[in-house]
Amino acid sequence: MLEGAEFYFNVDHGYLEGLVRGCKASLLTQQDYINLVQCETLEDVKIHLQTTDYGNFLANETNPLTVSKIDTEMRKKLCREFEYFRNHSLEPLSTFFTYMTCSYMIDNVILLMNGALQKKSVKEILVKCHPLGRFTEMEAVNIAETPSDLFNAVLVETPLAPFFQDCMSENTLDELNIELLRNKLYKSYLEAFYKFCKNHGDVTAEIMCPILEFEADRRAFIITLNSFGTELSKDDRETLYPTCGKLYPEGLRLLAQAEDFDQMRRVAEHYGVYKPFDGLYCFFLPQVQMNVLAFNRQFHYGVFYAYAKLKEQEMRNIVWIAECISQRHRTKINSYIPIL
Amino acid sequence: MAARTKLSISAVTFLALILGFLAQTIMKARLKGAQTGRNLLKKKSDALTLRFRQILKKIIETKMLMGEVMREAAFSLAEAKFTAGDFSTTVIQNVNKAQVKIRAKKDNVAGVTLPVFEHYHEGTDSYELTGLARGGEQLAKLKRNYAKAVELLVELASLQTSFVTLDEAIKITNRRVNAIEHVIIPRIERTLAYIITELDEREREEFYRLKKIQEKKKILKEKSEKDLEQRRAAGEVMEPANLLAEEKDEDLLFE
Repeated sequence: MLEGAEFYFNVDHGYLEGLVRGCKASLLTQQDYINLVQCETLEDVKIHLQTTDYGNFLANETNPLTVSKIDTEMRKKLCREFEYFRNHSLEPLSTFFTYMTCSYMIDNVILLMNGALQKKSVKEILVKCHPLGRFTEMEAVNIAETPSDLFNAVLVETPLAPFFQDCMSENTLDELNIELLRNKLYKSYLEAFYKFCKNHGDVTAEIMCPILEFEADRRAFIITLNSFGTELSKDDRETLYPTCGKLYPEGLRLLAQAEDFDQMRRVAEHYGVYKPFDGLYCFFLPQVQMNVLAFNRQFHYGVFYAYAKLKEQEMRNIVWIAECISQRHRTKINSYIPIL
Repeated sequence: MAARTKLSISAVTFLALILGFLAQTIMKARLKGAQTGRNLLKKKSDALTLRFRQILKKIIETKMLMGEVMREAAFSLAEAKFTAGDFSTTVIQNVNKAQVKIRAKKDNVAGVTLPVFEHYHEGTDSYELTGLARGGEQLAKLKRNYAKAVELLVELASLQTSFVTLDEAIKITNRRVNAIEHVIIPRIERTLAYIITELDEREREEFYRLKKIQEKKKILKEKSEKDLEQRRAAGEVMEPANLLAEEKDEDLLFE
């Protein structure tokens, strides 16, 4: 509970906040996007990106240039920046960073568990893990035979341990469907993150909590939408909803009972914020806008979270435009999400 | 001895004649057989060529459609990646059994068996819950597009194998037709012509021989008549009584 964060914040975190604002200024603008959309080949895209902050990041790539190469290089750049921030951070910013990386760690752990179950080589899976989600015990995964072994030996040391404990006992780890596991882990992660931000109080809570609430509700809606027509039962579905959003508790209960799209829409209309609900894409724009607005306040950790998310969205936009160009399918090339 | 030789000669020629006719009949039968065979094979070749052209047309159509479908599917992959993030590793990790399998059936065209592939689904969709948190709709569309692409690919595979098999079969059949038409039948015809000329020649020989024998007999007869005349003139020949030339018959008692 830090009152008057203006007084204490810059002592520990002022340098990093300045740095991240500088990085934010180098995000691609609308003009850049217009230029990219008009490119004819991937080589043109590379030339355009050289004029932005990306610089010569593709300079060492041999021909032919593919979309996946662009993607990998962009991700490497983001990781470098992120690691730099993280290494220079102090508490409690470091814990904040750890929370941010948890979501990637969850994906990596699911991947590793899958691979271990199917006796695949650990090396190949490690290559495919998301670099932001690295944790030191990753290489030790191959010694585990079953998921419960995995849990006892490896995961207990990671920050993910409490999430696992929330979800289930060790016995159920074996039978559980991988996707359900992933979503359950994500739910506990989101709730823990929310609690952390709220406890921190001050501007951080003011900025981060609405963002996390929106994320929780978005997940609830999308899980409901995607579980129509699958074998996911309503009770199972309810256990996957994060409870830190605006929908808790009434909305979540209603959503769990919803059978089809119209019922969902009625639930959305109850809450004014979600009224213009028309499926998947309507959630992207408000999230991006919220992330951009985070930069309007100073002295809080939300800027780091917002920067990471915006950078990811930008990467997705660039990859989308590059794919449209390389596949010569330009009808939907303008469906990227504009950021600035 | 001469008579016996003559007899054996004629027996041999008779045998040869008979054999000649037999050979001719056999050759005629073989010619007919070869011609019928060639007609049948030509019909088979025509039927196969017809089917071949049909398959070719279908292949062209399917390949064009394939281009469109693959483009669509690749684009929906890009869309899904945009909304759901990178799910490729999850998908690859979870692969165990094939969901779409193929059965091979046989189809018969003019005696040539062609393989036909038919796909069938087995097992449930193990990727139902992928993308539950985001991009589920895009993933469903992606699954549909690629399923369509796979079906088209299976059809294209059947068509192309039939194409290759038919091509082989047509080449073989045409080779046989040409062989019969340009080698076997002329050979038989030539043999037949040779047999006919031989038979004719033998007939002519026979005819000539008969004529010669007749001449010889005539000469012999003239010679013996001359002899007789000479002997009659010398009075040595006692001619037997000629019943018809006699004026007085001794046996008649009363006249």
